Amino acid sequence: MFKDLDPILHSQLRLAIMSLLISVREADFIFIKESTNATAGNLSVQIQKLKDAGYLEVAKKFKDNYPQTTCKITSKGVNAFESYVKALQQYVNVSGNK
Amino acid sequence: MENKPALTPEESLHIISSMIDNVQKRYSDNGFLYLLWGWVVFFCGIAQFILWHFFHNQNHYLVWSVLWVVLIFEIFYLRKKRVDSNVRSYTGNIIKYVWLSFVLLLMVIFISLSHLDLSIFQTLIVPVMLAMYGLPVFLSGIILRFKPLIFGGIACWILSLIAGYVSYDYQLLFIPAAMVIAWILPGFILKKKFGESSKARIMTD
Repeated sequence: MFKDLDPILHSQLRLAIMSLLISVREADFIFIKESTNATAGNLSVQIQKLKDAGYLEVAKKFKDNYPQTTCKITSKGVNAFESYVKALQQYVNVSGNK
Repeated sequence: MENKPALTPEESLHIISSMIDNVQKRYSDNGFLYLLWGWVVFFCGIAQFILWHFFHNQNHYLVWSVLWVVLIFEIFYLRKKRVDSNVRSYTGNIIKYVWLSFVLLLMVIFISLSHLDLSIFQTLIVPVMLAMYGLPVFLSGIILRFKPLIFGGIACWILSLIAGYVSYDYQLLFIPAAMVIAWILPGFILKKKFGESSKARIMTD
């Protein structure tokens, strides 16, 4: 029986954001934007969706008088990501065995 | 990157691995601190050997005072790097505490050994320092999955074992030797890798 893939994670940009944040403790908006090559508007929307799902913690502060947004994955986000990867592996294994 | 909703499992796995790879390449160490400490300790070790072996200078150990200057420089350097950086990694944090515990342990051992007779102190200090020094180098190699540091740590332990059979004069040369194996060579390899990944990034950006 296949697990359903988490719809929050099963989209290109949101998955890229989560994959990036799973390997670092925290990263700022510019770093995520440069790493994903996404537009600022689209990135903001997707970060907000991940935040609403409880997968990300978003903090807004100031650095050298400029606003800085930093994102950090939550433990709920880590669990969701792990479940997503496990479900993916199941799909890949089955299609590989065909 | 657009927000394409219908992903195949293969595409999803590709996104995950490419993003993780991307972070590792972007935030690879440039080897600067390894080279800085490696060269400073290398020259201090050589200077101490020359002062002691050729001039019998009783204050030969004072050359190590230079390390305080380097330590202060490092604190400011890391603080600036932290402010400029737009990402914090788990590995960076763990490595920081590995080295911090090494420095504290070094101080504790040094103070404990300084109560011993000078001849016993001189017999023990280099092998003990090298044995201890191997630990953070080895652990850094494991955490960073960087083989030159793993080999460097093991080399420090081998040098420590050999140093126990060598007179104090020549033990002093084991410190610069350890620096070359454990820091300067890995530092150059890191610098080269960093240069290559920066160049690749500029070409793909």
